[in-house]
Amino acid sequence: MGAVHAKAPPSGTLRDSQPTGIKTTSTFAPKKDDNVIKLDIDKIPVRVQRIVVDGLTRTKDDIVIREIRPLLNAKTFDELVHLSYNAKVKMERLGVFKNVVIAIDVSKDNREYGYEVLFEVQEFRRIDGGIHTSISNNDGSLDFQLKMPNILGRGERFSLDYTVGTKRTHGYSAYFKKPLNNNPDIFFGSTAYQFHGEYPWSGYKQTDRGIAFDLTFPTILGSHNIQWEGVWRDLRALTRDTSFSVREQAGHSLKSSLKHTFTIDTRDDPILPTVGMLWRTSQVQFIFRKHFSVLDIETFFNFFYYNFPSYLGQIFQMSLAGGLMRTLDPVASVSISDRFFLGGPLTLRGFNLKGCGPHSHDNALGAESYWLAAAHLYSPLPFRPGKGRFGELFKTHFFVNAGNLGNLDFSGCSKSFLCRVCVKMRWSYGCGIVLCMGRIARLELNYVVPMRVQKGDKANPGLQFGIGIQFL
Amino acid sequence: MSSVLDQENIDNLCVDVSEASGTSREQQKWSEDVILFQPYQVEQITLPDYAQCLAVEAFLRMTGIIFRVEQRTNAAEMSPSGKVPFIQVGSQLIAEFEPIVKFAASKGYCLCKDKPEQAVAEMWAYVSMLDNILTNAELYVAWMVPDVLAEVTKPRYGCAYPWPLNWILPWLKQREVQHLMTIKDWASKSLGEVTGEVRVCLRALSEKLDKNKFFLGPTPSELDAVVFGHIFILQTSKLPGSPFNKLVSQFDNLGNFCKRIESTYFF
Repeated sequence: MGAVHAKAPPSGTLRDSQPTGIKTTSTFAPKKDDNVIKLDIDKIPVRVQRIVVDGLTRTKDDIVIREIRPLLNAKTFDELVHLSYNAKVKMERLGVFKNVVIAIDVSKDNREYGYEVLFEVQEFRRIDGGIHTSISNNDGSLDFQLKMPNILGRGERFSLDYTVGTKRTHGYSAYFKKPLNNNPDIFFGSTAYQFHGEYPWSGYKQTDRGIAFDLTFPTILGSHNIQWEGVWRDLRALTRDTSFSVREQAGHSLKSSLKHTFTIDTRDDPILPTVGMLWRTSQVQFIFRKHFSVLDIETFFNFFYYNFPSYLGQIFQMSLAGGLMRTLDPVASVSISDRFFLGGPLTLRGFNLKGCGPHSHDNALGAESYWLAAAHLYSPLPFRPGKGRFGELFKTHFFVNAGNLGNLDFSGCSKSFLCRVCVKMRWSYGCGIVLCMGRIARLELNYVVPMRVQKGDKANPGLQFGIGIQFL
Repeated sequence: MSSVLDQENIDNLCVDVSEASGTSREQQKWSEDVILFQPYQVEQITLPDYAQCLAVEAFLRMTGIIFRVEQRTNAAEMSPSGKVPFIQVGSQLIAEFEPIVKFAASKGYCLCKDKPEQAVAEMWAYVSMLDNILTNAELYVAWMVPDVLAEVTKPRYGCAYPWPLNWILPWLKQREVQHLMTIKDWASKSLGEVTGEVRVCLRALSEKLDKNKFFLGPTPSELDAVVFGHIFILQTSKLPGSPFNKLVSQFDNLGNFCKRIESTYFF
């Protein structure tokens, strides 16, 4: 947050009339015993005569001019401060500047009400890098990143990433992002990547090499993302013991798909939210020999409600998720890497990671549809140790979660369909402690009681530890 | 040398099994389904792989094991060793000729049970010679001769995949084989030299076979299966320039041997 330095006209002093979030300081502090003239800052007329942007090296002029042009229309000083602040916020969002400082001064040519505004900007370095850790699916990884912000002068970003994970996963990717129409919310992205991952619950490993192009744009309802992806996948059996049903899917395949994702995210924190909701729906169309071959719809809904009984600081969470996949082309088949899996310490608690549903020799085969529901009640730690400090990172929770996974037969009537979906349901309940690790991950240590387990499921009653970003 | 040692082990196993159990017990051990996995023979398989698949198939037919053949486009990727063919017996997977022979022997199916040890050792030396010369020659012709590579091998190898995999995968395989050929010192040979080596090898086989029905006594052996695999494809493959077809026709007894095996075991 930069500061706005405003120099008041010599004839008066400033009265407190600041827009929120701006620190306004006068360059010469008025003394209390001075001859104080009341001055209404709203009413001081201004005419902006000059706007100087200092510090531009490779940023193109047009994107800066676009953001600061409204300043020329400022009629009063108050308006000028507001517009300058807006311009600063917009400029900082462009992904071009590290820092923007505004200075407003009277014009040097001493015209009446003449002002000039100086933006001191600091551009990002040409090349920046970093190493950070990320956590997903009970697997940690170290990411090395080299990024070139503002590479072409209009907020474009190019980055190179190398990821190495704890479970022999590794991959690299190159990503290029370009805001369209100089709007940082609408952007086009393209990426090329190679990723190798091992999936021990299903007994296979896979190397993906692919390219993807996507367009992200906001609407009144939420954010949309449309992506085309072409990926060459090389699937191999992980060990000699891999089940034959998995092994026979080994080999090279090409997946071309069109994906639309719709997201509304109003949560106040991605790891341990107190209020808000997240709704994400994605639909994927696999393209096989110029036809749409598989349709895959997945939706995910998380709802948080804070202040359940307000004085206890409890949070109520409701989650629903479901996915459905249907082959439209009789020749097409769904690869194991596209199927749905269920179970894990952050989703269907009480079961091993991907431990629900059909198995063949200990290898999870996945299925073409699933549903999952969970309800949580979070409370602060008993007796509230570390209140207001580290204690806020911990919460206790009670939960019930239920779900099912299976292949659906669309030919039957809808009633028997519903019966099948519910009859083989799995559910469990339990309680535990949630720890929020910065904005990186969520840790859960739970005691879980699986109540309904189906044949072939790998239940994990008792203590269960989970770490990750996505949770239900 | 190693193959000779292996054979001794196999012999021991054969003896153990035959001593321990009667024929009916042996049959029980094969009660599980035996499935031979290989790439699509008509559209996909490449020359060297075809020879291997035929050899294994001939071996299985000679032993009298009941099996069925499954053709899969991804047979090589499914195989535990990455090479074709492989067999599935119950939950076990065994890939390539020698391991399959050993496995069959451990189950009591051995072609050279009653044959003299010395002859069997000599036979495995021949098998290893064929492996060295004919397999390499097939790899050479399929992947190093530009005409064959462009017109036959690459289109066949990539036929199961959509663009662009149908040129990436053959190209990767070509690099792999060329690297292998360089290590084995075959890359620098000319087609003439390779044909010469094949001729020497065929002459040795022709002399070994002489006028006999099989290479080793009155019953078939593993060598017969391997020789059949190689000669059959050398004789029948239609490659640009057809480098080998005439070569085989110079050795009448090998050609007849091939026809005999085909009509005895494959029909």
